[in-house]
Amino acid sequence: MQRTNPSRLQTGLRRLRLDWVLYALLLPTLVYFIIFRVIPIWNMRLAFYNFSGRSAWTWAGLKYFEMMFGSPLMKEILLNTLIISLMKYVLLFPFFPLFAILLSEMRLNRLRKFTQVVSYLPHFLSWVVIAGIWISFLSKTGAVNQIRGLFGLTPIDYMTDKGSIRWVLFFSEGWRSLGWDSIIYFTTILSISPSLYEAADIDGASRFQMVRYIVLPALVTPMVTMFILNLGFFLNAGFDQVLNFTNAAVNSSIEILDTYIYSIGIGQGQYSLATAVGLVKGVFGVMLVLLTHVTSKRLTGTGVW
Amino acid sequence: MKRRRFTLSQLLLSLVMILLALTMVIPLLNILAKSFSDPALSPSMSGLQVIPAGFSTVNYDIVFSNKVILPTLWNSVFITVVGTAINILLTTTAAYVLIQPGLMFKKIIMTFLIVMMLFDPGLVPEYLLVKQLGLIGSQWSVILVTSVNVYYLIIMMRYFQAVPTDIYEAARIDGAGHVRMIFSMVFPLAKSGIATITMFYAVVRWNEYFKASIYLTEKAKTTLQVILRQFVVLGDTVSLIGAQNIMDYNELARIDYGALKAATIVIAIVPILLLYPVVLKFYTRDVMAGSVKE
Repeated sequence: MQRTNPSRLQTGLRRLRLDWVLYALLLPTLVYFIIFRVIPIWNMRLAFYNFSGRSAWTWAGLKYFEMMFGSPLMKEILLNTLIISLMKYVLLFPFFPLFAILLSEMRLNRLRKFTQVVSYLPHFLSWVVIAGIWISFLSKTGAVNQIRGLFGLTPIDYMTDKGSIRWVLFFSEGWRSLGWDSIIYFTTILSISPSLYEAADIDGASRFQMVRYIVLPALVTPMVTMFILNLGFFLNAGFDQVLNFTNAAVNSSIEILDTYIYSIGIGQGQYSLATAVGLVKGVFGVMLVLLTHVTSKRLTGTGVW
Repeated sequence: MKRRRFTLSQLLLSLVMILLALTMVIPLLNILAKSFSDPALSPSMSGLQVIPAGFSTVNYDIVFSNKVILPTLWNSVFITVVGTAINILLTTTAAYVLIQPGLMFKKIIMTFLIVMMLFDPGLVPEYLLVKQLGLIGSQWSVILVTSVNVYYLIIMMRYFQAVPTDIYEAARIDGAGHVRMIFSMVFPLAKSGIATITMFYAVVRWNEYFKASIYLTEKAKTTLQVILRQFVVLGDTVSLIGAQNIMDYNELARIDYGALKAATIVIAIVPILLLYPVVLKFYTRDVMAGSVKE
């Protein structure tokens, strides 16, 4: 190839000579990824070895994978992960476009601005802060139970109640992202041509009919994109959130893959087993993202990247 | 569109939305009110109250005289500032290089970066690396381990691409080198994009607690979020406040831990609130035009 086309090689070399500054500028970023990403990927071979801090690692074969798939805990954790993901990425999903529609229907501009400004704010708080606020609000003497008291209901300790804790995750996720994640739908609604509304108005359409026949069809594309993108996060289910909301009383209901990896890896020092779980999760995770990327590209023309 | 009268459905809609907004803002105002309340009155405060019960800055006095919290606050500021600076330096230079037309190996480099974005090696392999590098206990572990976010890099590339290329060409003909181009042309022209990404990085840096909690083994080097988590989420008051520190205080009997937690939370939120106007100004206007999800 190079022999048959020497001029191409020559121009290539000339470009390299001219553009060496460009590669020099890119070098720190590439070095970063090689050190902090490629070496850890190489470290993942630990899943097939017994860990040793001082001497060389010894070959363990599939021992840790057998341990992982043989553990009854694993099934429970996988189920927790999928249930929490289902609640957060599927059940919560319609509320984002709904919020955007309601927002766009508000006629008092000041009130709408206020709602927007306030609703984006929780997105910028850390899960530590959010958990801190929610724990005090959900406590037996907290605001939520005070409101329950007004209706004569007995107080519930939500944070230690196994039946409630997944809903606590659901609602705190909604609280945090309702405003921010609905921005994309809101801007889609804003980009709808006003002439469509005018035409509908002349035809005597009600507000509800306008939403049904003008706004909703416009929202289909971003909804499909967002929904598919969410599927790519299904095995994650929100590590930071769970870690901050969990406690001994409810941990078995909300232990997810990532918190499990953390507790056996860093907590118990079972490096090989934690790496094996991480490897399986990583491989399936990439497959999910690739699948969603291809599906999304096909259906809507927008991919994950 | 024709403006309609203020109807009953509008009234209902407004009420629902105000209620939603209140659920988001009342908890924050309540925390703020509690932190400025008189510790003698704050324990009996309702969770819905947004006006301080009495007024006192004693909670902040305690927090700021605390031998743990103040140093960790500086650590957080240090990690956020230095970390964000590294993030932006690497992200802008890499984005500038990657949008150059006719760059050799561009496809290979982009594929490499996307693979790096998708495949997360996970907790333990990264932990082992930090150990191998001898960075356990050093703040550089937390700073360096998240030097570039590929997702933000791609957004940055989109911002740079939005700058008309003939401006670059003209500057090139005038003999400007790449480095000068970045500082004198790209930075000013893609200002709002850089501001947006800076803010994204800074928020992530400030809110980061997990890596800090495992890599920063000494209490003297850890960050505010880690301490906040110990105090507010895990309820560890003893190691945080320390018997000594309380004894220094003659209001010993009057300490309300709930209010003290509130004050610590407020301190952790304030820097975010300072960035918030920037968020509203740039992100909602620009990024959304390209409909990018964070």
